[in-house]
Amino acid sequence: MAAVQDSAVAVGAGAKARPAAQGRLAAIWTKHGAGYMFLLPWLVGFFALTLGPAVASFYLSFTNFDLIRSAEWVGTANYVRIATADPKFAASLKVTIVYVVLSVPFKLAFALLVAILLNRGIKGLTFYRAIFYLPSLLGGSVAIAVLWRQLFAGDGLVNSLLAQFGIEGPSWISHPDYSIWTLVVLSVWQFGSPMIIFLAGLRQIPTDMYEAASLDGASKFRQFYKITLPLLTPVIFFNAVVQTIEAFKAFTPAFIISGGTGGPINSTLFYTLYLYQEAFGNFRMGYASALAWILVLIIGLFTAFSFLTSRYWVHYDD
Amino acid sequence: MRMTRRSVLAGGAALLSYSMLASSALSQEARLRVLWWGSQARADRTNKVNQLFQSENPGVSTNGEFLGWSDYWPRLATQVAGRNAPDIIQMDYRYIVEYARRGALAPLDDYLGSVLKVEDFDKVQIEGGSVDGKLYGVSLGANSAAMMVNTVAFEEAGVDLPTPETTWDDMARIGAEITKAGKRKGFYGIADGSGVEPLFENWLRQRGKALFTKDGKIAYDANDAADWFAMWAAMREAQACVPPDIQALDQYTVETSPLSLGKAAASYAHSNQFVAYQGVNKDKLALNNFPLISKDAKGGHYRKPSMFFSVSAQAKDPELGAKYVNFFVKDPKAAEILGVERGVPESAAVREQLAPTLDELGRAMLDYVSGLGALAGALPPPPPSGAGEAEFALRTVAEQVSFGQLDAKQGGETLVNEVSQILSRG
Repeated sequence: MAAVQDSAVAVGAGAKARPAAQGRLAAIWTKHGAGYMFLLPWLVGFFALTLGPAVASFYLSFTNFDLIRSAEWVGTANYVRIATADPKFAASLKVTIVYVVLSVPFKLAFALLVAILLNRGIKGLTFYRAIFYLPSLLGGSVAIAVLWRQLFAGDGLVNSLLAQFGIEGPSWISHPDYSIWTLVVLSVWQFGSPMIIFLAGLRQIPTDMYEAASLDGASKFRQFYKITLPLLTPVIFFNAVVQTIEAFKAFTPAFIISGGTGGPINSTLFYTLYLYQEAFGNFRMGYASALAWILVLIIGLFTAFSFLTSRYWVHYDD
Repeated sequence: MRMTRRSVLAGGAALLSYSMLASSALSQEARLRVLWWGSQARADRTNKVNQLFQSENPGVSTNGEFLGWSDYWPRLATQVAGRNAPDIIQMDYRYIVEYARRGALAPLDDYLGSVLKVEDFDKVQIEGGSVDGKLYGVSLGANSAAMMVNTVAFEEAGVDLPTPETTWDDMARIGAEITKAGKRKGFYGIADGSGVEPLFENWLRQRGKALFTKDGKIAYDANDAADWFAMWAAMREAQACVPPDIQALDQYTVETSPLSLGKAAASYAHSNQFVAYQGVNKDKLALNNFPLISKDAKGGHYRKPSMFFSVSAQAKDPELGAKYVNFFVKDPKAAEILGVERGVPESAAVREQLAPTLDELGRAMLDYVSGLGALAGALPPPPPSGAGEAEFALRTVAEQVSFGQLDAKQGGETLVNEVSQILSRG
């Protein structure tokens, strides 16, 4: 017990000694200390769980780290192999870009359509909004991916419905020509978060513009084309960038639906899935780290390209 | 009592020192972490044995964890990388070389005869757990690849069940007859095994070839692979096997095989999975060896350790680990709990003890593995690193052929090219 009392005294003494010396630092602390303390959980998370591993993976991308033995420096060998001698890199990149190009426009169009329908002042808006948002909360989960397998398998619900019309469908999820489409449909179904943002954007458009247009005899379609779309371009742009990044990063649906293989015939081999296979299936953590940094670069290029073209089609009111 | 700053600090410090005392008391107790893959049934049995081991070894606590096969390997690799490896690792023939050569496993030779009493094990099976002359894994049971047959579906279609003499020609004919009988909706004769590595290996061995040479090179040529793909293309044509989009649903688990999905009357697996297959199939199943390339073909099968227990190189007390492994494979009470769920026990004494107590399924499995006779040949060397990728390549190329992207000849060339590249990269 004596030791306990000693340590308590020591702590108390330390607390008393503090304010005297380091003037400037102490002043900053008194002024902003509380703020930094509130930021602390985020800062710890950012440095320990995001920035630290990112820096480590950058280093590892120049090594042959295999998870068990210690890493050996191999220079740019990993990057050279990716660029020149890896057919699966090209195959997985192609699958991913097809997925992005298909899923993002369909998803945004669908989200906009639902947002416009919901914006017509129907009763119980909050209820519908919540219901339509639900798939976005569930969509990334394993349970939904498993459900998707059940729906689109050979004797799944979709083929049972098609059978009513005399159509005999293939096993959609396990046919190389159709499997990517089941993933696109799954992505479009999670239209909730762009829809909410579209809905907010639609409410920003002043109603007097529509009134003036209809007085001039503009049809509903013309109003949508000439008023809604141009004024909504900043929101469309935002959604497009966010959804494109999300689509590049998609992993769970392909992992669950193909059982981790990316099959059949690599038709669902997303870039992230290939990266995962290399890291944890084939023990090539160094190579997988290099793949990850290439992905960062690709997403960066796509985003930069979006921003560069945005000045030609995004209309800012102010 | 009034709370002052000092009393709170003192209290906190006291709590801290108590908890440190408590944890140092805990670390006096030896703790064994055991990690394995498998079903709930396996987990129940393993946990029971763990409790038994604890009660017979006061001061030792065990902590078991289990996962499915495909989640198991990433988890194990990350734990080993994080210097947080379990003490006892369930190990597979495919990975033991990789883990042993990377220094993740403890050699067990020092404990042979003293702690680890496996003298009555089949010598070949002990060697199966050895890498570069040192013992890294103790076999938990022997098994062999096997065909699972739905006996009811065969009866319905009015065809005879396969026998040990059934050839691939017979199988193609029988398969087509079952499909033609059309007794069930969307039902076919046999699963498409063109991408199933153990089946391909069995067929190669009957031809006198193998998957890999001793020094880890490819041991078959493009003609072998092309013949293989051509045989399956003919069966697909004749509807003896399931169509490719149905076969692609198979994730090589018990639950997703065409047999369990109710799409085919026969599928390919390992004998120790018989219990699990029967568990998810309503119809009565039977075990049969893989078909023969000709009436007098031999040696396609082999008895292999179905899985090992290895002791981690990071284990604090490897001797205790060896003691646990010995308990697992030798103790009569443990044997009674474990049965033949991990394969046919390697210890002759345990086998004798278990034989009269087995149920019908266990009996069938034991008879199958011990009755292979001339159908079984020598145990091939452990697969080289890159074998996992090579298996994946077989599956992908088989799909390319079955979906019509390549013909059998192109498939053969593509496969041999890809596998050679994978193996040379290591």
